[in-house]
Amino acid sequence: MIVMNDVTKIYEMGSVQVFALDGVNLEVEDSDFLAVMGPSGSGKSTLLYTIGTLLTPSKGDVTIDGKSIYKMNPLQRAKFRREVIGFIFQTFELIPYLTALENVMLPLYLSGVATTKHEDIAKEALRKVGLALRALHKPTELSGGEQQRVSIARGIVNNPRILLADEPTGNLDQKTGNEIIQLLHKLNDKDGLTIIMVTHDPDKARLSDKVLQMIDGRVVKDEEQTYQKTR
Amino acid sequence: MPEVDNIRAITLVLKNFSRRKARLILSSIGLILAIAVIVSTFTVAHSMQIQIGDEVEKYGPNIIVTPRSESISVPYGSVVVGNVTIPESFQEKIYTIPNRMNLRTVSPKIYGQVEYGNSNLLVVGMISEQEADLKKWWNVEGSLPQSDTNQVLLGSAVSSFLRSSVGSRITINDMPLTVVGILSETGSVDDYSLFLPLHTAQSLLNQPGVVSVIDVGAICKDCPVEVISQQIMNALPGVKATPIKQAVETKMEAVEQTANFSLLLASIILVVGCAGVMNTMLASVHERMKEIGIFMSLGADTIHLYKIFILESLILGLIGGLIGCFVGLASSVLAGPLFMNMMISVLELPLYPIPLSIALSVVASLTACLYPAWRASKIDPVQALRTV
Repeated sequence: MIVMNDVTKIYEMGSVQVFALDGVNLEVEDSDFLAVMGPSGSGKSTLLYTIGTLLTPSKGDVTIDGKSIYKMNPLQRAKFRREVIGFIFQTFELIPYLTALENVMLPLYLSGVATTKHEDIAKEALRKVGLALRALHKPTELSGGEQQRVSIARGIVNNPRILLADEPTGNLDQKTGNEIIQLLHKLNDKDGLTIIMVTHDPDKARLSDKVLQMIDGRVVKDEEQTYQKTR
Repeated sequence: MPEVDNIRAITLVLKNFSRRKARLILSSIGLILAIAVIVSTFTVAHSMQIQIGDEVEKYGPNIIVTPRSESISVPYGSVVVGNVTIPESFQEKIYTIPNRMNLRTVSPKIYGQVEYGNSNLLVVGMISEQEADLKKWWNVEGSLPQSDTNQVLLGSAVSSFLRSSVGSRITINDMPLTVVGILSETGSVDDYSLFLPLHTAQSLLNQPGVVSVIDVGAICKDCPVEVISQQIMNALPGVKATPIKQAVETKMEAVEQTANFSLLLASIILVVGCAGVMNTMLASVHERMKEIGIFMSLGADTIHLYKIFILESLILGLIGGLIGCFVGLASSVLAGPLFMNMMISVLELPLYPIPLSIALSVVASLTACLYPAWRASKIDPVQALRTV
């Protein structure tokens, strides 16, 4: 379970203070699919990275499974990130000089998994996202949808409990975007992965368990959509 | 089907390098230059020292052991020999000094004057092999006198004075002697001397078991001759060991000074090379900001990042060291005959400067990477991920 308690993130822009997050309180249950919506600059991505242990809040506390993540030291936090959290991004963020398979193997190396197991585990993750046949292609040889699938495979290869998706369909056409959303829902349904997805598109948010509306760093609407549950 | 590489830090570094080959070479240039200068300086200096060392050896003894005496009677070349003598057994004792490994030749000699008609002749008793080893410029017609025989080698002036040739017989102080060799003109006091086997000369001069002087040829390319002299004086009571300062030694100092200056120059180039590596690494950190952000989002910590940057600099250092060594050796071999009129043979060089130079290059490169690696570890991952 993810709990944000009065989380504030302030950026100093010269003499002006910008509240990227302004007293956010949030609870996300295990296996929830949460969509975060709001206009640009409303703090959606800041919220995501704060939950993702990458952005220390100016005030407040974030706990995941009862552990206060910003009370950990940087090494403990990085280890926690490797074990518990997966990221996917709008622009996929694959390492260009590595093949799809090697990109997926990267978190395994960082986690210290035995190198002899890398290939099998990474291939299994690619198979899960339907990209086993493109494993040996470099990112530039893959379509946007395929790259995002690689990114998802990389995000789930360490079996994290939480997947954080920052506008995962933002760079994809409608059809491919929908396929990615379906894939995320499949991972949420089948593997019980907690997913928090930032999106601009209400259609993509429609199938989520919960939709969070943000404006100016504040949560203005926290809407349950339990009727949409498919499992 | 292409082979799948296991992902390790080294895989990441090599794959990253493989797409930036030109940069890899460019960033190593400073190191290559510095190591090349260091290696070529060493190579040239070493070859010059060998050459000068050979000259030193040809020059003769570089320590003269004489009795500690105030009275003067027999001048022999630039050395003054007193009436007091040294026990012949001291020849063996010299080999007990700590630096005995540096002793090349120990040549005991006895000097004396004998009357011959109305003239006086200078008699030198010697151990032929030892003396000839010290005086490599000697050119003997015939042969050297054998130990404990009545054979004699005549200096060129004595030979003319006695009108003797090889095979002639002469008698001095009732001792019949056979001329076995004539020394070509040396331009030194040797031209006026009769050279006898040591024990024969001792009998002729009535001084058994003693010598006037012991000439010592020490291999002093890498040892201070003064120290050896002092060690000899400590080991042998009542003797004076005089180091001979020679022009070639001054030459050696000049070579050392030139080598030191070149090394100073190389150190400066090395510092500039380090700055180049640091600059490239910093540029690389900046360029790969997003990549570092991705790594961090995947759970990379400072140790992972340091590992990658340290490996990169290790490879840069190795490349710089290896190419630098090759360039340094090649340039000295090619430039030696052209600019210094000397042949440089790589095969004659000791091997240790090669690994030492490579290690120096690696250490320099590693030092240069520390700050960029630290900068990389301090990158804000969120800001990095937002980098276009």
